[in-house]
Amino acid sequence: MTFDERLAAIRGNMAEQKLDLLVAIHDGAHFIETPNPVLVLSGFKSLGPAAVVLRRDGETSLIVTPAWDAERAAECGPTLRVVAADDVVDGLQAALGNGRVRNAAIGIAGLSAAPWAIASRIAQTLSQASAADDAVFDAAASKTVDEIANAREATRIAELGYARLLELARPGMSEDELAVELKWTTRTLGAEDNFLLLCAGPRNPAVAPSNGRKMQPGDTLVVELTPSYRGQLAQICRTVVLGPASADLKDKYDLLVRAMNEGIRAAVPGVPMAAVCRAINTVLEAEGYGEYCHPPHIRRRGHGLGFGSIRPGDVSLDNDTMLAEGMVFMIHPNQHLPETGYLLCGEPVLLTAQGAEPLTRRQAALAAIDL
Amino acid sequence: MLAMHPTLLVGPADWDPARMPKDEFLARIAAFWRRCPSAGGAIVYGDRAHHAELAYLTNLTPKLEAALALIPRAGAPQLLLGGGVNMLPAAKPLTWIEDIRPLRNAGKAVAEWAREQPGDAGPVLIGGPSMPYALRQDIGKGLGDAIEDKTSDLSTLMRRKSARELAAIREACATLAAAVAAIGEAQRAGVGATAAVLAGERAANRRGAQDVRTLFSLDGGRSLRPFDTPVERAVDQLQVYVAVRQSGYWAEGFAALTASALAGALQAGRVLHSVLPLVQAGKPCSEVARAVAQAIRPKRPHPVSARIVGNSIGLALEEYPLITAECADKFEPGEVYSLRVGFAEEHTGTAIVSAMISVNEDGNELLWPHAGATT
Repeated sequence: MTFDERLAAIRGNMAEQKLDLLVAIHDGAHFIETPNPVLVLSGFKSLGPAAVVLRRDGETSLIVTPAWDAERAAECGPTLRVVAADDVVDGLQAALGNGRVRNAAIGIAGLSAAPWAIASRIAQTLSQASAADDAVFDAAASKTVDEIANAREATRIAELGYARLLELARPGMSEDELAVELKWTTRTLGAEDNFLLLCAGPRNPAVAPSNGRKMQPGDTLVVELTPSYRGQLAQICRTVVLGPASADLKDKYDLLVRAMNEGIRAAVPGVPMAAVCRAINTVLEAEGYGEYCHPPHIRRRGHGLGFGSIRPGDVSLDNDTMLAEGMVFMIHPNQHLPETGYLLCGEPVLLTAQGAEPLTRRQAALAAIDL
Repeated sequence: MLAMHPTLLVGPADWDPARMPKDEFLARIAAFWRRCPSAGGAIVYGDRAHHAELAYLTNLTPKLEAALALIPRAGAPQLLLGGGVNMLPAAKPLTWIEDIRPLRNAGKAVAEWAREQPGDAGPVLIGGPSMPYALRQDIGKGLGDAIEDKTSDLSTLMRRKSARELAAIREACATLAAAVAAIGEAQRAGVGATAAVLAGERAANRRGAQDVRTLFSLDGGRSLRPFDTPVERAVDQLQVYVAVRQSGYWAEGFAALTASALAGALQAGRVLHSVLPLVQAGKPCSEVARAVAQAIRPKRPHPVSARIVGNSIGLALEEYPLITAECADKFEPGEVYSLRVGFAEEHTGTAIVSAMISVNEDGNELLWPHAGATT
């Protein structure tokens, strides 16, 4: 799928929902868990709050703040009409003709996640608008060819970042120091951002953002390296021991890898996402870890990868999204086990006609750093 | 100034009681109660992008999930943090608040807490404008939609920096200087544009920066862009913007880096220096904006500094007041400002330069001198 084909599909959704206009809003605080309809519709990753107005005939206006960033926005395409604004809501009103669309059927995407200061004004201005997030994101469940290429590059950067982690991580170094170094490393490799969760301890209760704790011999270090390349995230989940790994830890990690591989095998076009989660859980349940397959121990077994669309959503038992070719998402059994604490193990996959293709060159394996 | 916001904050953010003791936070809370005597408590929101008020009262910089602080008039405050209960231990080192709980069913949790507070006065909201629409509606429903937003009252208190805050900003300025120097050095060595910028980011990281954000120009300063993908070609003049955060506090600066003296940058620097004496306690902020506009005529102001020539800076990169020709505020002792002057001229050159400046009782102090054109 190309960007233009996706846009055509979104316009098809608009026609189906009898929408004349689609308004998308995003605050510019890009977050892995929050989809960005402006990025989906324009390809533009904004510095500040931004909006898109898409008309059913395909005419697209991109409202950009701060105004001085409009030139960069214009690089996204010659057909995009860029409106430079100091205030996104004022700019949006101008793009909509200052009230001349009162009788139009308007759908709006991104409103619930937008900050109150912006969203409340838009809700007032477009009081007749209905939520239309699905019109945007249903068409963006599968990635474009460019996004897939970017996900591959982001994965390559993640693996190089992980190789650097294995060189750097030592007792006495703080989690923050390691995280900062890895973020810088992935930037030098071309990642413009990195959702980098990293923490260490004798028994981690979860994976969390780094803090000032200094790593100790025997710690288990868990890391989600999630670089973004040209606005497309990809993630690898890895576990490292500072020192020799115990037989028990090796055994439990092998169990997670087996569970992950069952999940990867189950991910084929035409099955619901829930089946992937169930396949992973089945392996763990067979080993007596059934109670650990549910909250508070585990919430999901993977997730979509933004920054644009985060479809197909979580790898969870309640996600009945049907898998389709071109989807890119994480499969990670990431699991708290009573014997080991929290362990990370996960790969980004691309769904093809043949099944889930891991984007990584080397699959997760428990690593031990020789002290 | 806006730069690209990272998806997750990576960098040291632990609470350091030696730098910012608990008493200072308690004094800030007490000052807020004095300013808002009718408030029955405070509900303070913060997330990755907007958390200056939350950090001011709790030291917490939410690196990942959003947080709500529930601060009673009397008694111990609570922090409600997004994510599961197993994420809470990682947040403990970030704040002086001991009672940290998971943020679930925010509307219900906040309403229950409000009901438990003694007296008839309801709580006020801080950080409400930054709350996601759905969360704000949820909290509004739980409290009967009557909650008053007092963010601007706290922002007013945040303008005047304490000695400890000023110390943190000085440290951030030193890191800013190191970052800009590193970029200049790399640029003079002929490395590619993004490699030069990343050299500055690394220098800031190595000095313990909590966050670093950069913008740079590939067209001699006419337009600015964030790091996207590596740019191999070397650029002379390299116009950069660097913001660094240290111990919670920001410093930011523009520099026009070039191997030869640049008329535009030198002129911009002269204008900047000429208006610094106007930054005096009691003087209107608008005078600075008007003086800059007057001094750069007949040149066109750079779009980055055309409307806003500066702003207060501290726990947020951009705090109020913003220095514009329409600004009604006056400078006050203890404030710290970022000031910028930029031209966009085809013939005499395009450049933006800036300064960090603190206001004291009898004048001001330049905390970070603009680099201007370096040779």
